Amino acid sequence: MRTGRTLIDVSRLPTATFGPRDMMWWGTAGFIMIEGTTLFICAATYFYLRLNFGTWPPQHTLRPSLLWPTVQVVLMALSNGPNLLLQRAARALDLNGVRRWVLLEAILCVVFVALRWQEFLSLNVRWDANAYGSIAWATVGLHATLLVLQALETLVFTTFLFSDRIEEKHFSDAYDSAFYWYFMTGSWVVLYVVVFLGPRFM
Amino acid sequence: MTPAVGVDPGEHAALERVWRDRTGLWGWLTSTEHKSIGKRYIITAFVFFLLGGLNAGLMRAQLARPENGLIGPDRYNQLFTVHGTTMMFLFAVPIMTAMGLYFVPLMVGARNVAFPRLNAYGYWVYLIGGTFLYVQLLLNTGPDTGWFSYVPLAGPGFSPGKRVDTWAQTVTFTEIAALVGAVELIVTIFKNRAPGMSLNRMPLFVWAMLVMAFMILFAMPWVASATLFLAMDRLIGTHLFNPAEGGDALLWQHLFWFFGHPEVYIIFVPALGMVSEIVSTFTRRPVFGYPAMVLSLITTGFLSFSLWVHHMFVTGIPELGSSFFTAASFMIAIPTGIQIFCWIATIWAGRPRLTVPFLFILGFVVTFMIGGFSGVMIASVPYDQQAHDTYFIVAHLHYVLLGGGVFPLFGAFYFWYPKITGRLLSERLGRWHFALWFIGVNLTFFPMHLLGLRGMPRRVYTYLPETGWGPLNLLATIGAVIVVLSVVLFLVNVALSRWKGSEAGENPWDAPTLEWGTTSPPPSYNFAYVPVVEGRSALWDRSPDHPVVTGLRTDMREVLVTTLLDAEPDHRHRHPQSTVWPLLTALSTGVLFITLVYTPWGLVIGIVPLTISFIGWGWPTERDHQEQLREEAAA
Ligand code: HEM
Ligand SMILES: [Cu+2]
Repeated sequence: MRTGRTLIDVSRLPTATFGPRDMMWWGTAGFIMIEGTTLFICAATYFYLRLNFGTWPPQHTLRPSLLWPTVQVVLMALSNGPNLLLQRAARALDLNGVRRWVLLEAILCVVFVALRWQEFLSLNVRWDANAYGSIAWATVGLHATLLVLQALETLVFTTFLFSDRIEEKHFSDAYDSAFYWYFMTGSWVVLYVVVFLGPRFM
Repeated sequence: MTPAVGVDPGEHAALERVWRDRTGLWGWLTSTEHKSIGKRYIITAFVFFLLGGLNAGLMRAQLARPENGLIGPDRYNQLFTVHGTTMMFLFAVPIMTAMGLYFVPLMVGARNVAFPRLNAYGYWVYLIGGTFLYVQLLLNTGPDTGWFSYVPLAGPGFSPGKRVDTWAQTVTFTEIAALVGAVELIVTIFKNRAPGMSLNRMPLFVWAMLVMAFMILFAMPWVASATLFLAMDRLIGTHLFNPAEGGDALLWQHLFWFFGHPEVYIIFVPALGMVSEIVSTFTRRPVFGYPAMVLSLITTGFLSFSLWVHHMFVTGIPELGSSFFTAASFMIAIPTGIQIFCWIATIWAGRPRLTVPFLFILGFVVTFMIGGFSGVMIASVPYDQQAHDTYFIVAHLHYVLLGGGVFPLFGAFYFWYPKITGRLLSERLGRWHFALWFIGVNLTFFPMHLLGLRGMPRRVYTYLPETGWGPLNLLATIGAVIVVLSVVLFLVNVALSRWKGSEAGENPWDAPTLEWGTTSPPPSYNFAYVPVVEGRSALWDRSPDHPVVTGLRTDMREVLVTTLLDAEPDHRHRHPQSTVWPLLTALSTGVLFITLVYTPWGLVIGIVPLTISFIGWGWPTERDHQEQLREEAAA
């Protein structure tokens, strides 16, 4: 190294951080913006197509059933409790806590995917029946795609977490996956209201 | 690769060992280095420009005289559709993103982009999508419903077969690539800037890239939804755009243009950034009115989202709506006007060097102004109703896109070529290239205004002699020949200079931004010591004994992460290794999307390889690599 210049020594800086300090958090935020916009477009299209019909759902089309979708949305809302605990455990670098809550998340993911199947059936309309059916399926389906990807990722991550190769930065990854979870469940609460409750008062 | 001046050879060797790619084909396939990816991205996009140009050349040949028999109507439809689609989705947006992916990390003093594997994935997906389109064109099953594929024409009823599905899927590939690139740029700019480069010291090009990236983030999902809905209508019988079942044809236009208008600015905004860097360098002073410039970029980004309806003035939208969108269309001239004013002020105060990059900037101002004038004309509803779907629009859109996009881009090529290759392009050939290009472009497209006024509709494969459109069309075709000559000259220049060009050194133009503070081409790790920025013009403002960062590890890939606003050192981040998973994941994505064109079962077929590559990618193996490296070092 040349002498005589000021050196800023960064060797003492930490190697793992949480939240907006971390790059991965911003990457996750970016994808949330993209996916959020796409889900917003589905909802906007839903309202736009509503204008083409006298009644909603259209005549001779059943309203969606509410049982399974409501179970799903309540479960999703509740899952944010453990999710918060996961974030706390991650910040505290508490490996056992993180393992426990991520495992729970993985199980929940599988449950959500299974319930999503029921939700499609609860729409009580085929996607090719009319534009109403099409947009309802498209909206639920798009969210389902994200859900399946999230489930896949969580399963891989869970398996990995139970190996012996955990480093500090994986706590940050766990924290970010919880961050994404808020988006998944939060966006579903909104879409549930639109797709499943909407036909009752639109 | 030799170390840069003042870099300890031992340190250089250590950094080189952990940062460089493996050699050979395998190294190329697994590379996650932003310069390597960026370079092939730029080259690929330029090849698509040439292919799009080839389509255009064929169209111009066909239109050269009335009742020409060179190309039939079906082929012609494919040609203009593939031309428009190529130029917008496979050339303009990707090449702007690619320039960002190559130069932004260098300009902010980073070692690589934020997510290098994602970056490689984006490139491969884009390459597969573009190739798919051209394979279909060669098989005579290219899309034929225009670059915005309006329904009902593009719906299942009027366009059976797989042509429109090909179009929709090609666009999907490019959307993914663009979105990935945008996230990449945003996080690199937010978190990887060199210490001292607070937001208000960022080069204007980096600002432009940031604005572009955000625009992509909010605009691309609209076309993504549109193409997804279209594919669903065609493939599984949904009715989103089918009025008979309560769907809506106009919905397509809203979705498409809510993306399509910002799209033009996604191309234009980065070009503005390029212009600023070039003006600043060749007048040797910082661009006048930095805060105004930044605010104009941001305003342009915002305003561009309020303009989509001006593409739909003839669809019978309410009067009040039209007036609003007319007003908004005039408004967007304001931030652009401010920028042009600031550049003129900069040039006025400095002593400009009339190099080739600078010439292209002057060409940009002239050409873009003409496009701006015709734009102001069609922003008014009554005029638009006359000009709609005529060659007046074709003239306008090319003046805007070529003037506002391709002129600055050529300037940028001349400006940055020495950084990428280590050699300068020939100025003499460059002047010829510029002159021919300027003449050719104007000769091709100016007559189209007149043709439009005389009633020639766009997208017609031929016309009758009695229309009197022959001479002007011939003129336009002669112009296109000159354009071709100029591009050939450019290619010759690129090829010759690669071997024979004069050595560039670190900073041949005496430019102010950080990329010029390392060797040309830069080493795999970009900067031996992460620089510390002391002013807006990083290299001009730095003190003789400027501070640098030390303490990053040299026995593994490690980067410095800084704070968002002030770029203060925050933490160190382990950077992933090169890997083949992005390529494999892109291939799986390709299998999924392409089989989906032919059968809904594609979802089932495609999901298996995609899941596997997802797992392969997601499974953290870095530590093994790091240990391996350390063992190698110990041995
Ligand atoms: C420089 C050489 C170029 C030539 C000679 C050329 C020529 C043409 C011609 C003749 C058409 C009209 C076809 C018709 O309506 O029948 C056309 C359409 C179009 N061009 Fe170009 N063009 C060139 C470059 C570009 C570039 C650089 C872009 C964009 C960045 C571009 C974007 C478009 C678009 C979007 C259309 C509309 C396609 C459609 O109607 O679907 N062109 N071009
Ligand atoms: Cu527009």
